[in-house]
Amino acid sequence: MPGVAFVAHCLLNQNAKTRGGARCPGIYSPLVDVLRRKGWRIEQMPCPELAFTGLNRFWAVREQYDTTAFRRHCQRLASAVVGAIELHVKAGRDVVIVGIEGSPSMGVCITSSDPGRAGLPEWPDGSEELVPGEGIYMEELRREIAARGIGNPRVIGITHQLPDHDTRTERTRLETFLAR
Amino acid sequence: MSRRDERSFRVALVADRYLNPPPRGLDVIPILVEAEWGVIQLPADVYPREVAGPLLEQVAEQTEEFHRHGYDVVVIGRRTGLKEALADAGVPRLDQLEPVSAGALRAFLHGRPSPRAGKAPKRKARVTAKEA
Repeated sequence: MPGVAFVAHCLLNQNAKTRGGARCPGIYSPLVDVLRRKGWRIEQMPCPELAFTGLNRFWAVREQYDTTAFRRHCQRLASAVVGAIELHVKAGRDVVIVGIEGSPSMGVCITSSDPGRAGLPEWPDGSEELVPGEGIYMEELRREIAARGIGNPRVIGITHQLPDHDTRTERTRLETFLAR
Repeated sequence: MSRRDERSFRVALVADRYLNPPPRGLDVIPILVEAEWGVIQLPADVYPREVAGPLLEQVAEQTEEFHRHGYDVVVIGRRTGLKEALADAGVPRLDQLEPVSAGALRAFLHGRPSPRAGKAPKRKARVTAKEA
């Protein structure tokens, strides 16, 4: 087995997305197909937003989730996930983490930000909220991994919710990443 | 957000052995993709209780959210501790299948009723001043 991929919840379950965000009925096949074709084991992480603000949550930016309570929630999730990561790392397996670019909690290189967003949720579609940065859960996950001293797993973000997403480009990027 | 939402309102809690099957084991992912079900993965059987327990707690909390909102939620396979975790989160007993074949799983999934959540909500009739 080449390794173990800890993937964002919604990559196996698009039902967890904020309303309007599900790109397919359930499993996001472009990622899963690549992982399985290459022989990687799949591990699904919990969705930080689903259990905290629920299925009827609004689209939100990083600043709206950046509270002590949400960070504690993320720490609890990260602690559970890193328990499993630690088992695989100690068994000598390569571990990678797959997040979601543009997400306020699961972003790897791109998150969403709008310091002024508040109140009645009316904002123009396509507003410029995507910025370089990491989501809050990913930050807490990295902290937990560092705290347990279990190395530095490689991380990649899936781009399916970015405006310039291209499935073929993403597949190539993912294959290159996994082959390293 | 004006984009069409593609969700299926169907979620299967799936034992790890069917998502990461051993050689010649039943692989449920192609069947779930074709039947348009999302997945919540159950912790691997080999995980010790101190690792599996917190993961099962998360599974149960997320399941409760889907169930409460009328999504169809089923269990495929089994996992020690799942029943207790779901009960702690207030989730009633879910329909479950230990799939002996791909055909049995397909029949089970395709035989499910339409999820309550996927149906168009009934609008409340406006109350006129006269009626009030």
